[in-house]
Amino acid sequence: MATLAPTQTTPPTYFDFRAALNANRLVGLWRMMTGFHWQYSGAVFSLAVSALAKTATFLLLRYFVDGVMTEAAVGGGLSAEASRNLMMIAGGFVLLSLFEGGFAFISGRLAAYTAESITRRLRNFLFDHIQRLSFSYHSTTPTGDLIERVTSDVDALRRFFSEQAIGVGRIILLFFINFIAILNLNWTLGWVSIIAIPPILVVSLWFFKKVTTAYEKYQEQEAALSTTLQENLTGVRVVKAFARQDYEKKKFEKVNWEKYLRGKILLLMHSLFWPLSDIVLGFQMLGGFIFAATMAIRGEITVGTYLAYVGLVVWLIWPIRNLGRLIVQTSTGMVSYGRLMEITKQAREPLTDGKVHPEAPVKGEVVFDNVSFMYSDGKTDVLKDISFTVHPGQSVALLGSTGSGKTSLVNLLPRFHEYTSGRILLDGIELKDYPREYLRRQMGIVEQEPFLFSRSIRENICYGVGHTVSQEELERAARAAAIHDMILTFPDGYNTVVGEKGVTLSGGQKQRVTIARTLLKNPRILILDDSTSSVDTETEAEIRQALYDLMQDRTTFIIAHRIQSVMNADLIVVLDKGEIIQMGTHEELLAQDGMYRKIYDIQTRVDDELAQEIQNSEV
Amino acid sequence: MSDDLIALEEEEHTSPLTGAVFQRIVGLLRPHWKMVIGFLVTIACVSVMDSLFTYINKSMIDQGIMLKDVNALWRLATIYGVFQIIQAGLVFVFIYMAGVLGERVQYDLRKLMFEHLQELSLSYYSQNAVGRLMARVTSDSGRVADLITWGMLDTTWAIMNITTGTIFMMIINWRLGLIVLMALPILMIIAVEFRKRILIQFRLSRRANSKITGAHNENIQGVRIVKALGREDENLREFQELTDTMYNASYRAAWLSALFLPTVQIITAVALGSIVWYGGIQAHQGLLTIGGIHAFVSYLTFIMWPVQDIARVYAEMQHAIASAERIFKLVDTPPEVHNKPNAIDAQTLMGRIEFENVNFYYEDRKPVLQDFTLSVEPGEMIALVGPTGGGKSTIVNLLCRFYEPTEGLIRINGRDYTDYTLHSIHDKIGIVLQTPHLFSGSVRENIRYGRLNASDADVEDAAKLAGADEFIVKLEKGYEQNVGEGGNLLSVGQKQLISLARAVLAKPELFIMDEATSSVDTLTEALIQKGMEHLMAGRTSFVIAHRLSTIKRASRIVVIENGRIAEMGTHAELLHRQGHYYRLYTQQFKFQREQEYSVAAMVPLPAD
Repeated sequence: MATLAPTQTTPPTYFDFRAALNANRLVGLWRMMTGFHWQYSGAVFSLAVSALAKTATFLLLRYFVDGVMTEAAVGGGLSAEASRNLMMIAGGFVLLSLFEGGFAFISGRLAAYTAESITRRLRNFLFDHIQRLSFSYHSTTPTGDLIERVTSDVDALRRFFSEQAIGVGRIILLFFINFIAILNLNWTLGWVSIIAIPPILVVSLWFFKKVTTAYEKYQEQEAALSTTLQENLTGVRVVKAFARQDYEKKKFEKVNWEKYLRGKILLLMHSLFWPLSDIVLGFQMLGGFIFAATMAIRGEITVGTYLAYVGLVVWLIWPIRNLGRLIVQTSTGMVSYGRLMEITKQAREPLTDGKVHPEAPVKGEVVFDNVSFMYSDGKTDVLKDISFTVHPGQSVALLGSTGSGKTSLVNLLPRFHEYTSGRILLDGIELKDYPREYLRRQMGIVEQEPFLFSRSIRENICYGVGHTVSQEELERAARAAAIHDMILTFPDGYNTVVGEKGVTLSGGQKQRVTIARTLLKNPRILILDDSTSSVDTETEAEIRQALYDLMQDRTTFIIAHRIQSVMNADLIVVLDKGEIIQMGTHEELLAQDGMYRKIYDIQTRVDDELAQEIQNSEV
Repeated sequence: MSDDLIALEEEEHTSPLTGAVFQRIVGLLRPHWKMVIGFLVTIACVSVMDSLFTYINKSMIDQGIMLKDVNALWRLATIYGVFQIIQAGLVFVFIYMAGVLGERVQYDLRKLMFEHLQELSLSYYSQNAVGRLMARVTSDSGRVADLITWGMLDTTWAIMNITTGTIFMMIINWRLGLIVLMALPILMIIAVEFRKRILIQFRLSRRANSKITGAHNENIQGVRIVKALGREDENLREFQELTDTMYNASYRAAWLSALFLPTVQIITAVALGSIVWYGGIQAHQGLLTIGGIHAFVSYLTFIMWPVQDIARVYAEMQHAIASAERIFKLVDTPPEVHNKPNAIDAQTLMGRIEFENVNFYYEDRKPVLQDFTLSVEPGEMIALVGPTGGGKSTIVNLLCRFYEPTEGLIRINGRDYTDYTLHSIHDKIGIVLQTPHLFSGSVRENIRYGRLNASDADVEDAAKLAGADEFIVKLEKGYEQNVGEGGNLLSVGQKQLISLARAVLAKPELFIMDEATSSVDTLTEALIQKGMEHLMAGRTSFVIAHRLSTIKRASRIVVIENGRIAEMGTHAELLHRQGHYYRLYTQQFKFQREQEYSVAAMVPLPAD
């Protein structure tokens, strides 16, 4: 059976869905199928063959009854010819059902192949597309919304291709093939048999739209119940401490009961729709039977024709309600297409575009020349007329309060954001002329509390380093980052998984993992975020040393708001509201009467205060 | 995401049906026995009616068409019409009854579990992740309800269909009937095997799906790092491995399903062929009418299709039984901390509180608290300080009687506190947690949690005293502002202020606070300090303290290290001693002051 579908060659796993962007959703959906049109057509064609085989079964039944049974009955006894005929007819039934079943399988398999292949490459595309969208897109789009789209909407499209589109096709094919067959049996009989079809179709469409809404309400209540439950379970200490068990029970009872009631409404709708439409369709069937039977009695049609009719008409009438259901469901697929295309049409960040394509690493001279930056809303000036120069290997410290623009300034360097005016020169070439990919290879970022991935510590350290790392190299980096000994205390050493399923690391530990990674990456330019400091003083000295080693021979940008972390910098830039208010070395700035000295004085003041305090306690 | 994985792992468990579990499952239906009887009787009637329809069809051919009797035709048609209406009535009843019963059983199970969870001790919660408990209440209940309603309905229907179908076939022609009966077990085995395989692939694909969602989540949250390290290509390659797994499982599940029906059909067709061949011969000998053959063919499908329903129910049943066992295990767990038989209500907590040689171990026997002795006079404020994991939280949990001492005693008013009822102790405690916990709903509702019958004015007074009023009135909707799920529409500082107000409103006799370590802005910090000050006035209080001002305000400071008291005394005494406390304090002092000052220094605009 493996030969039935073309699975031997792997289907393409990547497709640029930007080619499927179209204002007309149907055209768009068609284009999403690019490369699978033949397979999908094959699925529809097999469906038709299967439906034809089914119809033929009933026609064979007619021949069996009219040709063999009645004739033989008249002749009395079973002639040798009739006996042979009987064998052939029996064989015919088996053969036809092999056709029907076989092609139904081929169709199902081709449809599944198409739907699953499209879904796989859609998932791959979206994953890749999203990680290549600009930084500003990510900072303005909530994660939850993106996740919802790449999971639920992708699944809705999968169902569109695997069940709904093919299901609608199946019912329509069955209808027409059997309708034509009945028309051929008897013209009038055919038309009499479909009187109830249009009203039932309309009612079904109406009903399933209503049911969809009722079901959504039911699901909303289920979500509300989950929330109540989760809040109760996570807040168990509060519930117990305030002895609010009874109150909580009442609260839960309310949502639980409401869900029960909404379920009842949903069930009432179903339990009315199905039997009521059963009556209509049942009477349509009965009407057809009476009509056909009367004709048979009058001799207008044969008994065999009657029997064939009874078999065929079933496939005309009963699937109609499902057609209504499927049509309503396809609209969800359409909506999902729209929601996914909203992501697809976002412009990617070009990684390789640039006027220069240097091979060698940069030296690391950075010049800010009247740089200003504002967000795309064009209102808020984040940075204004920033100018300073850093020579290769030097360090520059950015000092300022939250919102002073320190972070925005360093975000310009790897071109996470683009400056609005002025120039930033790296080794004398404007930043915008370098490909982003190259620039980012030259830079290492160490954040205060970096995001780690839920993989092993080894994988986190080697993440994005860009070359294979030997165990020796790995351990050397971890030692230099003062994290090696810590890692060895974990249950699986370097293979210990970080996060929920493994160890939880403190902010300082996460930072050291990042330092180790940066050491392995060995960039020319370093961006250090040291804006808040943890209380974890035992390790602070170790981290300081690790950071100091890391900074050697690299151009370093330090974000800070404590004097301690900036004192040794070659250049200190004090920022306020996006502007430089002071600039110079530690000594120079101390000599000036400004904010820097104000902050510096605090340290001495704190020491004095502590001494004072201890003295006071000596009673 | 991880909750999803937990649920998936549990779903893979299966259990055989044992008498005891079966009895308890049936027991769930006892209160609703009328509904059960109702839908079982109707579904049985539906099945009988279905076979009657086929029989009427047969009669229409044999008595109407073959005998050319129009009257007989109309008589049969009338019966058919009446039956159709009765049938519709029956369908209405069984859908509604079985469905509502399913919802009801789920409602009952959820209620049962939720109410039992409220009584269980904190130790149960520390051993069972929230995700697991959630899965128990939300999905396990659904699976059990499905089994005992729709599962039972499908099985009844299938058995009835097979029985009535067989009977009718035997009536029409017993030889042909036997041929069909022979095909039945083969079909059954095939159907069950198919179902099992499809289910396995289905679970694999759901597992992969869960991982895919996780990968998306991480890559979006960590996009800054991905970009900075230029790891896009490698990430895509890794992601493609996941989608490949997903593809393989889903594709296999889909084509197995596509193969299943045709297989059933073909087996049916072989049986059909035999009937045609054998029936043809019999017809010639006058043993079988044309209508009879036709009816036979109909009965054939009539008993073949139910087989797949039984197969489905059978495949899913084992998982549902595992679910039921987990549910029963939950409701059978007794609460570890509970009232003694002769427990009395504590009149007041404003008496001496004594820890007497208290030891505490978790299940793994690793001592958390050792030989802890402390006597606290009413109105004292005790600051607990020391490194994380030293045992501070355990002291607070024991004091609240969330846990009870493994060895030793805790006395309140000179009496072992386990002699008191739990409720009477909790009623007089006010607690503010390190990570404040709020519930969805308005600010007002959250504060009122402290005292349910408090008037609006009381709520606002409490908020004023706690220093929360100032920010609340600035909210768009004031006290009616929705705080979001778990309070996540508010900042950490705001959540702390609200939980302070909640404690103020409760008018506790004993106040317990676990101070937050994360920094909040200076203004909020000052407000929190003011609120705490108010709460502690005239009450006994225990604070796990991090802030200098709190520590200094304490009447006694207890330094806890490695589950023991390392030092104890007033601020001045301990500083003088230059020991553990001295080191902790100076370190904290420098850190906190520097932060306060440097933030403060940067706030005003420099004039130059």
